[in-house]
Amino acid sequence: MSNLEALRDQAKKLLAKGEVRAVIGYRKGSRGMAAEPVVITRPEEAATLVWDPTCFHNLALYLVEDQKRLGKEKQKADKPIAIVAKGCDARAIVVLMQENYFKREDVYILGVSCETTGMVDERKLACLGFGTLQSASFRGDDFVFSTVSGEKRVAASEVLADRCLECRAPFPKVHDVVFGAEKARSLASPFAALLQFEKSKTSIADRWEFWQHQFERCIRCFACRAVCPMCYCEECIVDSTRFVVAPDTTAEEKANRLRWIERSATQSDNMGYHLTRALHLAGRCIDCGECDRVCPVRIPLRLLNTRLEREVRETFGYDPGASVDVASFVSSFRDNDPGNFIR
Amino acid sequence: MERILDKGHLLDWVATLTAWEVFAPGFQDGIWGYQPVSPSAEVRLEHSNTVQPPKNFTFPQREVFFTYDQIKGEAPKIAPIHPKPKQRVVFGVRPCDGRGLTRMDRVFNEQFQDSYYQTRRAGLAYVGLSCNQPTGPNCFCKSVGGSPVSSEGLDVLMTDLGDRYWVSSVTDLGLALLEVGGSIFSEPAQEDQNQVRATRIAAVSHPQRAVQNTAVVPSVLKESFSSPLWAALAQPCIGCGICTFLCPTCHCFDINDENASSSPLRGSRVRTWDNCQFPDFTMHSSGHNPRGTLASRLRQRVCHKFQYFHENFGVLQCTGCGRCISECPVGIDILSVVNQVCSAQVNGE
Amino acid sequence: MGDNSIYQPKLAEVIYIKDEVTGERAIKTFHVQFLNGDGFEHACGQCAMISVFGRGEAMISIASPPLIKEYKQFSIMRAGRVTSAFHELKVGDVIGVRGPYGNSFPIGDWHGKNLVFIGGGCGLAPIWPVIQTAVKTQDKFNRISVFYGGRSARDIMYKTELEQLRANADIYLSVDKSEEGWHEYCGFVPANIMDKAPSAENAVAITCGPPIMIKFVIQNLKKLGFSDDRIYTTIENKMKCGLGKCGRCNVGKDYVCVSGPVYSWDKLKTLPEEY
Repeated sequence: MSNLEALRDQAKKLLAKGEVRAVIGYRKGSRGMAAEPVVITRPEEAATLVWDPTCFHNLALYLVEDQKRLGKEKQKADKPIAIVAKGCDARAIVVLMQENYFKREDVYILGVSCETTGMVDERKLACLGFGTLQSASFRGDDFVFSTVSGEKRVAASEVLADRCLECRAPFPKVHDVVFGAEKARSLASPFAALLQFEKSKTSIADRWEFWQHQFERCIRCFACRAVCPMCYCEECIVDSTRFVVAPDTTAEEKANRLRWIERSATQSDNMGYHLTRALHLAGRCIDCGECDRVCPVRIPLRLLNTRLEREVRETFGYDPGASVDVASFVSSFRDNDPGNFIR
Repeated sequence: MERILDKGHLLDWVATLTAWEVFAPGFQDGIWGYQPVSPSAEVRLEHSNTVQPPKNFTFPQREVFFTYDQIKGEAPKIAPIHPKPKQRVVFGVRPCDGRGLTRMDRVFNEQFQDSYYQTRRAGLAYVGLSCNQPTGPNCFCKSVGGSPVSSEGLDVLMTDLGDRYWVSSVTDLGLALLEVGGSIFSEPAQEDQNQVRATRIAAVSHPQRAVQNTAVVPSVLKESFSSPLWAALAQPCIGCGICTFLCPTCHCFDINDENASSSPLRGSRVRTWDNCQFPDFTMHSSGHNPRGTLASRLRQRVCHKFQYFHENFGVLQCTGCGRCISECPVGIDILSVVNQVCSAQVNGE
Repeated sequence: MGDNSIYQPKLAEVIYIKDEVTGERAIKTFHVQFLNGDGFEHACGQCAMISVFGRGEAMISIASPPLIKEYKQFSIMRAGRVTSAFHELKVGDVIGVRGPYGNSFPIGDWHGKNLVFIGGGCGLAPIWPVIQTAVKTQDKFNRISVFYGGRSARDIMYKTELEQLRANADIYLSVDKSEEGWHEYCGFVPANIMDKAPSAENAVAITCGPPIMIKFVIQNLKKLGFSDDRIYTTIENKMKCGLGKCGRCNVGKDYVCVSGPVYSWDKLKTLPEEY
């Protein structure tokens, strides 16, 4: 039985036995090669689940949505919800558990291993000029794509997403069941893209100019925030004049809400939004790379988030999303934490 | 006026357009977008389509209406800000985006006339480029009343004939652009006529994805308001603004006062893009939200494009450019949504 | 280009402020007078976008009848950011006003008829100009009755004016729950209507209030025999431009700021229930 067949089988069993109330996973999309997120509730739907190099989405986002819905409807779930989780996604789930967004027993993790490869970067793939692609599948260290004119086999490293090339967690260590093996990988070094950026722009002035240019291009679609499981705040600092309004929220409370960042997509306001968001994610971002993938104007957001992740690792020795039993980054303090960042 | 332009002479034509600010598709920062063309720059019309439609030229993300300057207790001084853009020519506009402009015209030029839009529109010329083949896998202009060779909304339409372009003026403004180019163009010969005809026929017959039974979509959608499919189809939606901000016909906006100082009060009243997919777009101050669910917001966008606009103006608002399909982070596919909802309704599901 | 754009407000000075309701759910009535003789005429039911510069704009019904030319009246409940800014205004402050927006009540069609007005909470304000116009041109209309209720006696607005109206119209007030000193009806407005059972014969009903109230009022009016084309209401939605362009206030194909806010029930029922 292939990994996919085993995954489908397990999902079907869980739903048929009523052990979970739903399974969040991937299925074939309607717009071409890529998979799309799906939430299935009936055992027969398990046959539609897929697992291939186009399963880039971080499904932990839908756990957050599910939790918010339960809260809004004032319901308590009687059963856990299952989720198909790659290595990075599983770490996101762990971070959410560290932050008490839900408990370990609320989620049944169907781990899937990326083994020696990972997710395809559609832009890199487009450069190979294969034309319209119909599907993608794993094949050892390669990917196989089917097109109208037959199959094309490519070394995965040529078209892997940057985040996968540098992946620090290809195997979902926290899981209830896992499909695929934990395999040794010899791809790029961690933070390779960041190191390359830093080598190409060594001065602060150059880097500042780069980011100023990038933030001028931002159209404030908020896809980066919307796709991030960790950006779950109902009251985001950017939209601080719109926030959760309960029947008992007074006019005074609404009136006193400050507007920190304007709606206008000016360089200054965009900068404020992105830098604030990056700081709010420090120690929480597990580099699923989704924000980077979805940005319609291709702002290299990973560079911001991995810069802070590297800081968190090097300065504090903290590994985001590693274990449910470890406290979240910002809520933990050790006596030997360096204070050298505060002068 | 019909003319032939050698590809090698495209830059020469551009060089004559000194009375205009010229823009053309350029590949920068990893995406195709409209870039200003400096006198010595290259202009290559080799793009598929730009990520962002050209709607920024008439409907920018940020528009300042007026500034206010008020000392407490006194009447404020209001200084209206009126745009004074130089005349602009945009090359490489695809027919779907040209049609998109005509949809924006309905919104901003009728009833209350938006002088900001009109000023920017008056000085703007679109030099379109027909699509010899679909620019992407998600184009569907044909099934929404458009075509890869449509000139609607364009001032000039160019067709790529390999080593040269067939160039036809569509409006008086387009004619003026051709006349400025003068002898850079040549008269079309019979073989040019034959080739452009064949190219256009081939372009139009190229298969595309399609809306099914377009003619009845508005009325079928009207009956589908309570369809349970909306919730199912909207479920993966993450509530970002990609579909609307990249759409050539989406025009939702917000108006806010942005203060530079509070005492004395100085600031600007500003219009910015807004988006019906943002969760609190329609939220009242009381917290009541008529479109508080993902299902209702997806239904709003789809029905606005394929039903409400048609009910108000007699034409569909969607021009089939496919951007929302290609760029949606989770693959929500407006074509699939419309087809599924309509067929479910028709089949009595 | 010297003309003002459609987005630019005219300036108006606040010449009068009254506290209709204080404390929670505070309502203030404002009379504003245009500066520089620069105003506009309006019809009953129409609204205006009024702004406190630096704080924002809000679409508010014009509560004064068109007969009054010297000022425009707005009664505003403090609900959030912008309305709080209005509540901080003092007499003499200058605000922005642009309009008039929306459609109006077809009062001309109602000559000779009985008019039954039904309001709840702050919803009395949008129909107030119709009441005032009807009373001031009473020879054109038949019987006028006004049903109006608040959550409590404290929440009742236009108290003085309603008392004055008793000379020309039947006034039926109510509060949601009984309280000391209250001698009129105790219960919700829709229930008060069934209690007094106004006749649908030769009558038009005009209602405005919280959405839930409107829903039950319409239900009860139909029980009393009012036909759909004899029931009028005004609906509201979050608005920003008031010009049918920002895309926010639509109910189906209708932008409420342009095709509304006044709707007869036979028209409103054809729109999707999304407001």
